[in-house]
Amino acid sequence: MKLTAEILSRDEQQRIHDHSLRVLWEAGVQFHSLKALKLLAEAGATVDWETKIARIPEKLVIQTLETAPKSFVLGARNSSYDYPMPSPHTRYTMDGTSAFATDFETGERRYGTLKDLERGVRVFMAADMGVMCWPPCCASDAPDGSRPLHEFLTMLRFCSKHGNHELHHPNQVPYFVAALKAICGDDDAVRQRKIASVVYCPVAPLMHDAEMCDAYLDLGAYDVPILILPMPATGTTGPASLFSNIVQGNAEALSSIVLYQLARPGRPLIYGSASGSLDFASGGFLTGVPEMVLQTAAMAVMGRFYGLPNTATGCVSDAKATGIQAVIEKVITTLPAVLVSADLVSGIGEIETSQNLILEQVLIDNEIAHFCERLHQGVDTSPQKDLIEDIIHVGPGGNFLKARSTRVMARSDEFYIPQLAVRQSYENWLALGSPDMRDRAREKVREILNSPLVDPLPEVVSREIDEILREADKELSAEE
Amino acid sequence: MIEGLYQQMKQSVLDGDYELAETLAKKALELGIDPLEAINNGYMPGVNEVGQLFSCGEMFLPELVQAGEAMKIAIAIFEPEMARRGSQRESLGKVVLGTVEGDIHEIGKTLVGTMLTANGFEVFDLGVDVSVSRLIEKALEVNADLIGASALLTTTMIKQKSLVDELKAEGLDKRFKVMVGGAPVTQEWAQRIGAHGYSEDAIGAVAVAKRLVGKAG
Repeated sequence: MKLTAEILSRDEQQRIHDHSLRVLWEAGVQFHSLKALKLLAEAGATVDWETKIARIPEKLVIQTLETAPKSFVLGARNSSYDYPMPSPHTRYTMDGTSAFATDFETGERRYGTLKDLERGVRVFMAADMGVMCWPPCCASDAPDGSRPLHEFLTMLRFCSKHGNHELHHPNQVPYFVAALKAICGDDDAVRQRKIASVVYCPVAPLMHDAEMCDAYLDLGAYDVPILILPMPATGTTGPASLFSNIVQGNAEALSSIVLYQLARPGRPLIYGSASGSLDFASGGFLTGVPEMVLQTAAMAVMGRFYGLPNTATGCVSDAKATGIQAVIEKVITTLPAVLVSADLVSGIGEIETSQNLILEQVLIDNEIAHFCERLHQGVDTSPQKDLIEDIIHVGPGGNFLKARSTRVMARSDEFYIPQLAVRQSYENWLALGSPDMRDRAREKVREILNSPLVDPLPEVVSREIDEILREADKELSAEE
Repeated sequence: MIEGLYQQMKQSVLDGDYELAETLAKKALELGIDPLEAINNGYMPGVNEVGQLFSCGEMFLPELVQAGEAMKIAIAIFEPEMARRGSQRESLGKVVLGTVEGDIHEIGKTLVGTMLTANGFEVFDLGVDVSVSRLIEKALEVNADLIGASALLTTTMIKQKSLVDELKAEGLDKRFKVMVGGAPVTQEWAQRIGAHGYSEDAIGAVAVAKRLVGKAG
């Protein structure tokens, strides 16, 4: 059977749901967007226009959970990367929008640039466990007013897997849609293919900002999926217990579902979470800790409770450098999310609480993902794996190297063959210069960056995107 | 007896015991103790100790916040009497504080405000989503020494630069010192945009603010 984890009983899931309904009705949720408040008021929420707090009744939650799609395909520019959700396997997103990047050549940690972003997503293309890209770092060298467009479109240009990112203002929407049309062909293709989605973080506790919210409401016309990612931290922006922080995060996710389903019933959503844990000594937001992944894995289960495609933050670390702490934290924050069968784990490639992109880490994390998948697959007792006849045939004192089944199994999913882990004999390893996983990852990164671009955009589309960005730079920077 | 009372006041801050801090402040008033004496000899040593213990990792953030709150509650009790006596705490300086426009993250900024207040600054907290012009208007109105601008997002930290640029454009950059902070903000960023001060946390912010108003030490 598969190796799985049970993190919330059915009763506990129901309690979290019931508590969340109390939060939504008794405390309410603050929406800074007037458009959002109007939608909620018209649908039956009780809105205080002064405080901008909407108290959301249970019936709205039930109604909108019904219209939210229970499955859809996360499309990709290269359709062989299309990812149907829910998925029988856990796959990964790139970690996103760090402030910093570590320069691959010099090792210097500095604010990220478009070039770092481009390199990061090219490496992500080679990470076979990755299905959803996300601009791994912010582009500090892009113009302010149009920066998210540069980030979004650079990602879509250099990575043909599904792309997820954010827009910050409704004025960025027309440019984004124009670029999607340029890539997909027309409006219908944009709606049907769903090659890009947007990530939406409600602001904890229990708030929604105005401009991002309005931008995403506008994108509803194109059925752009939304990845909902509440981020309450235990003890600061959320209560100081895992259970109650899950309740609050769930209430924040539900309030997002209510809003976006009211605005456009049937719009695809992914239920996710990036709840954090407070470092009580510094006030810092921690991700690479058991208390984080217990929450996000539990919330992935809540996503299933509602029948929605889900994602859980994992494979993350608060370490300031690659190495022992980073790997320990990444493994412990990946495995529980995998063992509860999250559709997506977000995300790979960064350390320092998702604030530092390291290209080699993308491939190291991909290896962690494989190891965790193998654990999750567990002990397969199906007839194909039942080799009792071989035991009897070989009998005492023989070996199994000549058995046909050994040859078959050696190249099957029964045994994961690592891409980076070092398994040579000691002498061979010495002779190779004592490489470790990071050295091997560096080699591969160099290889990837020196190779021709995978799935480049057609020249005409590329030029069109250049033009869209030029226009956005001119118009949006002028508005700043 | 007074020494014992001061000790209890200090302890109420260390324990973050709001009710006790309030009760002791009222008791001091009944005893006719000068509020300034009570603040400086009772509550302030508690705040200083909490700050030191937090800096070396021995006290935790909620303990720091609750110590600051206990101090604020005590000061609020003393305020009418201080007004009657015409006395006031020695102000280290006036600080206008806000989270920048487009950003509604509040905690870090509020914590800095609490710590600055507890340490003797006069803080004018404008809340979140505050435009550059509002920060400057308020600084002019109250004749501030410092403007503190907080940003949690890489997308909003640019407004800290807008603040510095606007102050320069209006010829006010010599008059108001600018402190910046927030998750993506670094010393390098502060230097790059021409801000005068940066700190990673609220305790550090107090030290930076003191340095900027020439009251370090």
